[in-house]
Amino acid sequence: MTQSPTTALAPAPARASRFRLTQRAKRNAILICLLLLPAVALRLFTAVYPFFNTIWLSFHDWNPAFPPQQFVGLKNFQALTRDTAVTSSVSFTVLFVLVSTMLEIVLGLVIALILNRAFFGRGAVRAINLIPWAIPMVVAAVGFRWMYDTQYGIINDLLHRTIGVKVPWLVDFWGARAAVIATNVWKSTPFVGLVLLAALQGVPHDLYEAGKVDGTNRVSAFFYITLPLIMPQVVTIGLFMVVWQLAAFDLVFAMTGGGPGFATQVLAYRIYQVAFTALNFGYASAISMVLFVVVGIASVIGLALFRKVEVSL
Amino acid sequence: MSVRVIRWADRLMLTALVFLFLFVVLFPFYWIMLSSFTPKYELFTIPPRYWFSTFTLENYQTLANNIPLVRYFINSLLFAAGSSLVSVATAFLASYALARIQFRGANVIFIAFVMSIALPQVGGLVPLFESFKATNLINTYHGLVILMSSLVLPFTIWILVPFLRQIPYEIEEAAIIDGARLPQLFWFITLPIMRPALATMLIINFIIAWNELIYPLVFATSGLNKTLSVGLVELAVQPTAGGGRPWDLLSAMSMVMIVPILLLVLFFQRMIVSGLTRGAVK
Repeated sequence: MTQSPTTALAPAPARASRFRLTQRAKRNAILICLLLLPAVALRLFTAVYPFFNTIWLSFHDWNPAFPPQQFVGLKNFQALTRDTAVTSSVSFTVLFVLVSTMLEIVLGLVIALILNRAFFGRGAVRAINLIPWAIPMVVAAVGFRWMYDTQYGIINDLLHRTIGVKVPWLVDFWGARAAVIATNVWKSTPFVGLVLLAALQGVPHDLYEAGKVDGTNRVSAFFYITLPLIMPQVVTIGLFMVVWQLAAFDLVFAMTGGGPGFATQVLAYRIYQVAFTALNFGYASAISMVLFVVVGIASVIGLALFRKVEVSL
Repeated sequence: MSVRVIRWADRLMLTALVFLFLFVVLFPFYWIMLSSFTPKYELFTIPPRYWFSTFTLENYQTLANNIPLVRYFINSLLFAAGSSLVSVATAFLASYALARIQFRGANVIFIAFVMSIALPQVGGLVPLFESFKATNLINTYHGLVILMSSLVLPFTIWILVPFLRQIPYEIEEAAIIDGARLPQLFWFITLPIMRPALATMLIINFIIAWNELIYPLVFATSGLNKTLSVGLVELAVQPTAGGGRPWDLLSAMSMVMIVPILLLVLFFQRMIVSGLTRGAVK
């Protein structure tokens, strides 16, 4: 590309001029600290310090009703392995997150592709797409719990009318698991669709024109042009949803309470119960460690994928 | 001819998909709304009624008689507004330092903020409870606002820093050369320039805080400090005589929680979408 004479007159990029904010580096450093202080203090107090303290507490016996805090080494962790409530919550948490995320990505792509087409009322439909994201998870949980009701629920009535069966949704082991995952997918997919729609809008249009010349149809254009180009956003939102849903709490708490049995028990809810119902702070911290490890594993995998598809934060 | 048929079939399928989508998204809201205006005895019929038979407000009346609904509503409102303001204010200051002042480690700090999103909220509850007890922050308004604004802070910074970086620095530089001090610079130049992004984050953070359950559940335990989300969950999980759930009250309370959010979405749809997608698309 030849350089046009006007580029010499264009303003210098912002980065180059930032040094001129203050002359003295010392004043600059004080300023930086003052500006960052509130945000850093908040994060240290409510996220970083609790994180390290949880690690510390997980090696202790600690019930606030019976004060002395006692170092017990790995006792809590040994108990973890024998605790069905914990092991089943690990397995359901992982299942819940994997199945939910996969469905959210696939259905989110479908929603994004639909909302990217031109049709009458598209603006309104895009606005409606925001609603499930915006409403509280507890409302979704309560609303669906009502709709899943075995006797009076609307879902069973529709099933009964169309295929003549009634499913004891929240009473049955797999029924409850399916219901919880479906509710979660209902609530979160539109958000994924929203992000992927924005990604679709960033795909240059002339690529499709070029593809047409090379004889692509709509399906091959999607797999050879669209999908590779939006892969960074797919991976980003996928990792975000995985990490976020690993800590899911509201849905299970308000919809099933982890039941029937431990069928829909998730780690976050188990931690809450052990900490604030059983007041077993040390053991709750040990379960939190399990959650940290699972989130850590997911993040490492996610960041490796980031490098592969070249995501920049 | 066949091209026309294909195009027609394509159109039909698109329309069908749009209607299916609308049905799946909207039906639960319709159902909650219908239940909230239906008298209790009519909720438990087989088959259920798909349309209003007797319209009534008595569910809302009973709800307001059973729990301090207005108080919970005000609590939710103040909690969400305070958290939203504090988070955006602190995120603004931090983002200014990270985006505008070049210093070693700026990017490391930025990434540390963003990565801290991954720390699970529930994993820190026990230590937080201890430190809140030690500092008498349990059941205080500012305690809850501290927790909630910190929770949404990383996401806010993640959105604001790239936004600020893409605004040319020249205007601010000119103001500095003209002798503006930092407060003046913020008030007269930077804040107005950033108004769209700041307003967007105020709305998004308000919605997130309004919907929040865990922090109010654990740290606002006295009756008068509870938020709507806590009130709703208490209604949903507390044991009842027959073992059934008070669906009349639950649906009415759900409506009370949803309507303000629907209004926000209706009015600020564009802003919310731009805020939520900016992180993913640059």
